[in-house]
Amino acid sequence: MPPRADIFEIHPSSGVPIYRQLVDQVHALIAGGRLAAGDLLPSVRQVAQAAEVNPMTVSKAYSRLEADGVVERVRGQGMRVLGSLSGGTLRQRRQEFRELVAPSLHRAFQLGLDEEEVHKVLEDLLNQLTIVRNAR
Amino acid sequence: MPPVMHIDRLQKQFAGKPPKDVLRGVDLTLEPGAVLGLLGQNGSGKSTLLKCSLGLLKPTGGSVTVLGDDAWNLTAESKARLGYVPQEAVSYPWMRIRQVIAYTAAFYPRWNQPLVDELCRRWRLPLEDRVGPLSVGQLQTLAIVLALGHEPELLILDEPVASLDPTARREFLRTLLEIIDDPHRTILFSTHITSDLERVASRVAILKGGQIAFHGELGELKDRVKRLRIAASHDLPASFAVPGALRCEVAGSVATVSVDDFDEALVDDMRRTWQAEVSVQDLNLEEIFVELHDQTRRARLPAQV
Repeated sequence: MPPRADIFEIHPSSGVPIYRQLVDQVHALIAGGRLAAGDLLPSVRQVAQAAEVNPMTVSKAYSRLEADGVVERVRGQGMRVLGSLSGGTLRQRRQEFRELVAPSLHRAFQLGLDEEEVHKVLEDLLNQLTIVRNAR
Repeated sequence: MPPVMHIDRLQKQFAGKPPKDVLRGVDLTLEPGAVLGLLGQNGSGKSTLLKCSLGLLKPTGGSVTVLGDDAWNLTAESKARLGYVPQEAVSYPWMRIRQVIAYTAAFYPRWNQPLVDELCRRWRLPLEDRVGPLSVGQLQTLAIVLALGHEPELLILDEPVASLDPTARREFLRTLLEIIDDPHRTILFSTHITSDLERVASRVAILKGGQIAFHGELGELKDRVKRLRIAASHDLPASFAVPGALRCEVAGSVATVSVDDFDEALVDDMRRTWQAEVSVQDLNLEEIFVELHDQTRRARLPAQV
C-alpha cells in the first residue's frame, strides 16, 4: 500500500514540538494497528508538503524513530516500519506506564474516590478498550 | 560547509542624549539550509540586527561575516547572492509593476523571470498597474517577489508578513517552504507572528536586552520551557521556590511555576518534596515568548505579587 502523506495530523502552534507530535503519532498508529511491520512511512517531503511544515522537522522525527528502533531506513524506498512497537524492555515500558498513571491516581484520591472505586473505573476503561481493539 | 552568516559580539549604538545601545554583543551563526526565525519585542533591535548583517548599518563593535565577506564591505558578487525585504518597502510610485520588475532585474546577472511571473500570478499582482496606489499588503508582496527573482542563497526578511492577509501569509509560507527544498538556500526572518514561525522555522533566536537570549531548534525550546502547576494538600510554605524558575506564583496550596530547563526528574522531585500533584503544561511559541518577557516586567514590579 502506498504511504499516505496525510496520515499525520500536525498542529504547528501546539506546545508539543512538531517532531514529537510525529513521533507520538507513529507510535499511536502502530499501537492502533493502522501501521504494521513492513509498511512505509510517507516521505519527508510528502509530509512536509501536506502539513506545510519545514522538512527538517519531519526529518528529525524520522531520525528519532529510526534511533528508537521503530522504523528502519531502506535505501531508495524510505522509512519502513519494523515489527510491532518495541519501545524498550518490558521493564522500561512498565516504568513509563507507571509514570503516566501515578498523577491520575493521585488526582483520583483527591477527588475522594477510594481504592475500590478506582479499580472499578480502570476495569470499565479496560473493557471498553478491549471491545474497540477486538472490533478492528 | 562554512556558515552563511557569522555574527560575533555585534554592538550597535545610536547617537543621542543619552546614546542608545540597541545591540550589546550579539552572537549568532547561521548554517546553510537553515530557516531562522528572529523574535523579539518591539524595539528590541531586530531590524537593526538585520541591517547590520547586510551592511546597511555600520556596527559600533564586533563583526558580521556574510557569505565570506565582511558585511560592511560586501562585494558585488556577494550582493547578487543576497535577497532582502525591508520592513518599509521602497517603491517607485510612477512605475508600473511590470516596469519595477524589469528595472530590478537589470541589476542582477541572473534573474528567473518565469519564477517571478508565477509568483505575481499567485499573489494576483496586477502587472500593468502603477505602484503608487497599491495597498501596503500588495507593496509587501511586490517587495518579496523582487527579492526572490534572482534566487538568492541567503534571503533576509524583516517582518515580511506584517501587512499580509491570512491567505497571502499562507501563500508566502508555502513559497518559503518551496525555496528551502533547495538545501543550499538559507532564510533569516524577523517576525512577531509566532504561528508562522512555528510552521517554517527550523531554528529560532530570541533577541532580548540587546543580546540573543535563546538560539536553537524550535522543538528544543518547546521541550525546555514548561509551565508547572503544583497543587499540594497543604498551604505551601513561604520558602517555596524552584531554582532557576522564570516565574513563580504561589497562592495558598497552589503554585504556578515556569521553568526553562524542564526535565521529568524535576517533577518527581517536586511531587516528593511538597507532597503535591504536579501537572505539566506544554507551551506554544507565543506563550513561551510571553513567559520569557513577562519575567522582566514582574521582576521590576515585585510589589504587585
